[in-house]
Amino acid sequence: MKKFLTKLPEQAGRLLIVFIVFIALVLLVRFLLPASLKDHNIHIQNTVATEMSRQVRYAGSEVCASCHDEYNLKKNGYHKNLSCETCHGTLKEHSENPTEIKPLVPRQRDFCTRCHAFDPSRPTGFPQINPSAHNPMKACVSCHNPHDPKPPNVPQECQACHAEIARTKAISSHVMLECTICHEVPTQHKVAPRNVKASIPAEREFCGKCHSTQSIIKETSKVDLATHGEKYLCWQCHYPHMPEVE
Amino acid sequence: MIQPLHQTLYELLKQATGFIYPNEIEVHWGILVVVYPYLTGLVAGAFILASLVKVFNVKEVQSVYRLSLLTALAFLIIAPLPLLLHLGHPERSFEIFLNPNFTSAMAMFGFVYAWYLMVVLLLEIWFTYRKDIILWSKNERFMMRWIHKIISLFSTDVSEKSVIFDKKMVKVITIIGIPSAFLLHGYVGFIFGSIKANPWWSSVLMPIVFLFSAIVSGIALVILIYMIVTPSRRQEIDMACLDKMASFLFYAVIIDFSLELLDFIHRLYESEESIKILSDLVMNKLFISLGIIQVLLGMLLPLGVMVAIKFFRFDAELRKLLYFVSAILIQLGIFATRWNVVVGGQMFSKSFRGLTAYKMELTGFEGIFMALLLLVLPFIVLAILVKILPPWEPAPVSDLEAVSD
Repeated sequence: MKKFLTKLPEQAGRLLIVFIVFIALVLLVRFLLPASLKDHNIHIQNTVATEMSRQVRYAGSEVCASCHDEYNLKKNGYHKNLSCETCHGTLKEHSENPTEIKPLVPRQRDFCTRCHAFDPSRPTGFPQINPSAHNPMKACVSCHNPHDPKPPNVPQECQACHAEIARTKAISSHVMLECTICHEVPTQHKVAPRNVKASIPAEREFCGKCHSTQSIIKETSKVDLATHGEKYLCWQCHYPHMPEVE
Repeated sequence: MIQPLHQTLYELLKQATGFIYPNEIEVHWGILVVVYPYLTGLVAGAFILASLVKVFNVKEVQSVYRLSLLTALAFLIIAPLPLLLHLGHPERSFEIFLNPNFTSAMAMFGFVYAWYLMVVLLLEIWFTYRKDIILWSKNERFMMRWIHKIISLFSTDVSEKSVIFDKKMVKVITIIGIPSAFLLHGYVGFIFGSIKANPWWSSVLMPIVFLFSAIVSGIALVILIYMIVTPSRRQEIDMACLDKMASFLFYAVIIDFSLELLDFIHRLYESEESIKILSDLVMNKLFISLGIIQVLLGMLLPLGVMVAIKFFRFDAELRKLLYFVSAILIQLGIFATRWNVVVGGQMFSKSFRGLTAYKMELTGFEGIFMALLLLVLPFIVLAILVKILPPWEPAPVSDLEAVSD
């Protein structure tokens, strides 16, 4: 060993020292690491403790229900799946000190439109409005009770909820067809749209009334139902609200 | 200006075409993730150019050997910055070394980077410069003298035996260094190539394409730096060296171009279910950055120019101009390559039925100003390195004799 060290060039020895110091430092740091950092399954083992030591901000709807009657109104309405704190902010402090600390009451139009402004990615049938056309400047709460947000009048037009379909159909060749020609709409659908649904044509012959070669209606495109499309329903390939699109 | 996220997303939503999933509106890997592979590519390329001198004994390129090593170091020091800024919390980055996760490619790359920086680049530069640093420090003022003494680790031995040892070590390190440089940039391609859900990225050719485009960009960068720095020092450009570098660049561009062409033809022939949306992507969203900048300006035009130089005998001045313009075009092209891979891969929906858009910010951590700053920073680091370790003046022979006496 001694012979090896004396034979080693001077600069290599110096370099070796630097490397040994570096490796020793790495090992030292590894030794000094808290055990919580070394766990591989949970990267930082005491995350749970860290999270638990945070201040609790949310109270939960049950606490609200113990004082506010609006809770019972809300739990049967369309907003039943929204927590009170979605609109009113964190309420833990208010529940502990109800007289001093008051919750948020959002009354501005742009608060409601976060969910209810028209956005094509929202599910069809979800109540959506065009904020600049729908009673501009008027506060939403003056017509709709947010705890039971029924429309003030039962909508007469389908497009109140199905705006995108209405817009699509308006520029298609089906523009002259009323919605009710193809869909049977029970009156309950307007009140409980998710529970009572409108019907969809279930037979090929329904479209065939206008589009089969036997049809007496003129000026429509015709196909022979016996050979065209085989076992599929028409709307599985053709989008009825915009039949030009394949 | 920085907008609230929901506003930005709402604006982007209007630019999306076809069907996209909700989480695909926002392009998460932005301009900083484009800058990152671009910078690491330059490191690997500049190092490979330096290795040519030592391993393959290319005498002509000797005069840019040290310059390309310093270039590689300067860019390597800055290369992880865009990632750290993109991820946030740079102070936590050391945890991947302290608590390594051996099954994560990204975590293992931390070690590749550390290996490349400490065992390859720093060591090679140290052994290359050691003798000179000792000689410089002998007749320098206080500040530089101590900087050089510390860098040389207070080594004093400049005997012939120790200098021979230095040279031997440089050779060994270079031989280790070439596969390391391949690993360094091959990794970046590997990360993209192994994302199997993304047909634009998922390709075994990805690491190799990245590697050769890295070599192309690195050589072009050293050519640019050499051509700018040499006249500013009132020195003549060594045409033999420049011609040799340009010819390496020429071959590298040819290999890079054939590989990318192979990848393209392979995709076309394979015609997987993604081919429709990918051709849509190439023809619409990436037409300018891929068709015009990457292929036409960044590859075919410089290739044509260099073929012309090889066939016709242009005089030195014209050759210089053509090399300079080609090198700039190639830099532009390689940056566009990185852009097309990183941003392009996020522009189409995984449903293969829609395209989204990328809106770059001006300010902020992910903005274009930050990207420009990160592209300028390596040159500032390089200027400092060149100040401390001048790559062009080996210590005068008289000093060497004085010491050995």
